[in-house]
Amino acid sequence: MGRPLTDSPDILRGTLDLLVLKALSWGPTHGYGVARWVEVATGDALAVGEGTLYPALHRLEERGLIASSWGASENNRRAKYYQLTPTGRARLRVEAANWRRYAAAIFAALDAPPLPGN
Amino acid sequence: MPRWTRFRQLWGPDPRSDVDDELQFHLEMRTAEYLERGASPDRARELARQRFGEFDGTRATCVDISKRRRRHMKMSDWMREFLQDLTHAARTLRRTPGFAVAAIATLALGIGATTAVFSVVHAVLIEGLPYRHADRLYRVGTLYPDGTSYSLSAPDFMSVKALAQSVDGVEAYARGLYTMAGSGEPREVRGIRVSRGLFELLGFGTSLGRPFAPGEHVPDGPGVVVLDHGFWTREFGADPAVIGRRVQLAGEPRTIVGVLAPHLTLGEPCDIYVPIPYGPTFDAHATRGRRNEFLRVIGRAAPGVGAQAINADLARIGQQLQQQFPDTNGRLTFNVRPEAELLVGETRRPLLVMLGAVALVLLAACANVASLMLTRGSARRTELAVRAALGAGRGRLVRQLVAEALVLGLGGGLAGVALADVAVRLLVWAQPADVPLLEAVAVNGAVVAFAFVCSALTALLFGIVPAIQSTGGGLLRYVHAGGRGGDGGGHRLRGALVVAETALAVVLLVGAGLLVRSFSALTRVDAGFVPDHAVSFRVTFQGPAYAERPAFVGRTGLILERLRGLPGVTAVAATSELPLGGRGSMIGFAVVGAPPPPDNVNAEIAAVGVTPDYIRAIGGAVLQGRGLTADDDRADAAPVALVNEAAVRQWFPDGSAVGKRVDADTTREIVGVIADVRQEGMGQPALPQIYAPMATMPSRSVRVVVRSTSDTAAISSAIRHAVADVDRALPVAELAPLETLIATSLARPRFYTTVLTAFAASALLLAAVGLFGVLSYSVLQRRREIGVRLALGARGAQVTRMVVGAALQLVGLGVAIGLLAALAAGRVLERQLFEVRPADPVTLGLVAAVLVATGIAASYLPARRASSLDPGTVLRES
Repeated sequence: MGRPLTDSPDILRGTLDLLVLKALSWGPTHGYGVARWVEVATGDALAVGEGTLYPALHRLEERGLIASSWGASENNRRAKYYQLTPTGRARLRVEAANWRRYAAAIFAALDAPPLPGN
Repeated sequence: MPRWTRFRQLWGPDPRSDVDDELQFHLEMRTAEYLERGASPDRARELARQRFGEFDGTRATCVDISKRRRRHMKMSDWMREFLQDLTHAARTLRRTPGFAVAAIATLALGIGATTAVFSVVHAVLIEGLPYRHADRLYRVGTLYPDGTSYSLSAPDFMSVKALAQSVDGVEAYARGLYTMAGSGEPREVRGIRVSRGLFELLGFGTSLGRPFAPGEHVPDGPGVVVLDHGFWTREFGADPAVIGRRVQLAGEPRTIVGVLAPHLTLGEPCDIYVPIPYGPTFDAHATRGRRNEFLRVIGRAAPGVGAQAINADLARIGQQLQQQFPDTNGRLTFNVRPEAELLVGETRRPLLVMLGAVALVLLAACANVASLMLTRGSARRTELAVRAALGAGRGRLVRQLVAEALVLGLGGGLAGVALADVAVRLLVWAQPADVPLLEAVAVNGAVVAFAFVCSALTALLFGIVPAIQSTGGGLLRYVHAGGRGGDGGGHRLRGALVVAETALAVVLLVGAGLLVRSFSALTRVDAGFVPDHAVSFRVTFQGPAYAERPAFVGRTGLILERLRGLPGVTAVAATSELPLGGRGSMIGFAVVGAPPPPDNVNAEIAAVGVTPDYIRAIGGAVLQGRGLTADDDRADAAPVALVNEAAVRQWFPDGSAVGKRVDADTTREIVGVIADVRQEGMGQPALPQIYAPMATMPSRSVRVVVRSTSDTAAISSAIRHAVADVDRALPVAELAPLETLIATSLARPRFYTTVLTAFAASALLLAAVGLFGVLSYSVLQRRREIGVRLALGARGAQVTRMVVGAALQLVGLGVAIGLLAALAAGRVLERQLFEVRPADPVTLGLVAAVLVATGIAASYLPARRASSLDPGTVLRES
């Protein structure tokens, strides 16, 4: 099992998969590309321990949500490229919708007034 | 790394090194990033490491997952991956349709021809006889002192049946011709009389109605008949209502009680089956009729009993009968030969030779496609090199190329099966040679499976070497060299392929050449008769109207008389046996006053009854004495006979036969000697034969020869009318020009010669195409070199010589190897050859010349292209 992300916000532990899927929704890229996107998109939530991306990538591949192939990187290095499979793309849609509902509920809760008569 | 471990990559990546590569790439990218931001190299590395977090654990986790994933990959995943390879290969091939079509067409021809030949081999040699327990069936023969084996007489058959202990079934049949009336025009049908248990023994069932009942095998029993399936289909339109219908067979009414299941045959074609009536001679104790041998007897070995034990058992019975019936069975005994050997024995070797030959064609096709693949591999080196640079392992590339080969192979296989199906249908329809069991030949499951395996194997054969060759070392160096430089030894390999193809073509051409020479020798044989301007036909006198001898003898005379009156007719005669129609029946024979023959010579001779004009009608020659006259051909005339040269050689050591007296049926005087007429076949020497006037040796089934100046169609129709005038119910059978006798006798060698020639021509074409491809490619490769030579003053002719010389070097080597192989392989053809030795110098020389000429022809275009290169253009190109 993945090691605890000591300095990362805990929220990432359950959402790393979603972030990876989202990163790959822009097109095939290698693990470093995923890390860079997560870095920019989340305000560097994985500043320490971005190595945990790799077990996540491998597990997603094992579950058939993403597929990998070897290719040449921008600087002509051999790199392993990942891309979404159709299953992965569908899963991303479902998970993203779940998250939006979940987040909306939480946001709504945080802004909600107390129950009348309390 | 040991060499073999490279092949492990064929089965997939190594998870550990893949994970290392992946993580290392990540760290290096981050390091580069920190370097860019101005960190020192050490610091940059440290920062990257820190950011990554725990390394070893992450790495271990990833390796574990990877390994688990590969372990859990199910068969279906493997299949999916394999299919992905195949689809990818198909897509790649579609980009070069010319190549794909050429390769698939070549393979389709090779695989199609091989599959077609295999379907024959499968039906005839592997499936074999359509009999139950076919491997336990033996043909029982009456064994004469000279080692020849004949049919059995009815009493001997019953004796063997009663006394044999090594067999658990003995049955018999006899062939005969029948006039069939009552359904359309009267016509002659081929029939077989069968013993009580024959159908049961062989496992012959009916697809309609029933087989014979035991009570139907009695004299004057209920007239019944069972139809052959093919005959029923042809003549009765497969009408199920035929059961119960009555027909006239040989003038007697019979009821159709059944139709045999399809494809059942006793060897030669047959139309109807009737029961043998078990008359008084069907008795193990009868003394009469023991030398009237007309039954073909089949015995089934008891389980676990071999031929040797049966032969011993039958020898014992033979001795017992010798003592019991010394007058008839004095020196005779019995023997057995495997039934399968009898029917297909003669066909086995030629068929296997055909299969071998077609396999060589397939090999040549493989070599050609391999050469194409190599050329294509060279053309794709840039593509492959880029893919290798992008990290595709060599195993991956090999797998891709092998997948392409498989797609080509399977494509060729599919097209080949379709071709084979057409070819086999044509073959069965045309019946080009009397190959037994041909009706049963079909492209069935087993044949398709063979074609499939064949395609896969050929794909590996022509795919794996080019794949390893094209992906071989130096791909990266190749890219760095800017796509120039050698093609990794592919040229030498292609050269070797051309040599191999040439050698294959030589072997096949030598085989075909020998058969052609042998065939032409066969056609030049003096058969002893002149076939042009003569036709023959057969009539068989049966039924109550012809029950007595004078009736059919008189009728024969009447028919001959009518035919003589036809316009343009120059000679008419009747015989019991035509030239090339067999030896005729064997009768006891002795020269009066001569000592009896030694033990290993039978006191018998082949006898033919003929009318006086016979020798003239067939265009034969009387060498000594005189021919037969009308006075000889009377029942009350003094018995005379003619003999052939072979009889003189065998029975009259002093060379003079005319005037001698012989015992043949009766005591006859030899009045003339005639030139040998071939009996069994053009290639078989004539055997001793005696010709007696038909009146003294009558026959119910007579062949009539009509020599005339009219054309065949006119005389044929005149003959039919004349015979119908004499007896409207008498069918005229096998009315055909005498040439047909020769053509039929040569059908088998002609068929084998044609097929082998076609194979050889294909191999030659493949070799020529292969050579042309290699030379064209090599000229293309060496453009620069040739350009430089031309620029330095070489003349066009020199360049042409160079290219043609290269071609001839390859061809020469191929011819040398091929001739050696042909000499070694020639023996398999020996038995098919007539008056030609396997090491026939004419054939070998001609084949070598043909190959050299082909080599020059194939190199002509590439050589011209090379010599007409413009040095300026070529050198500017680079």
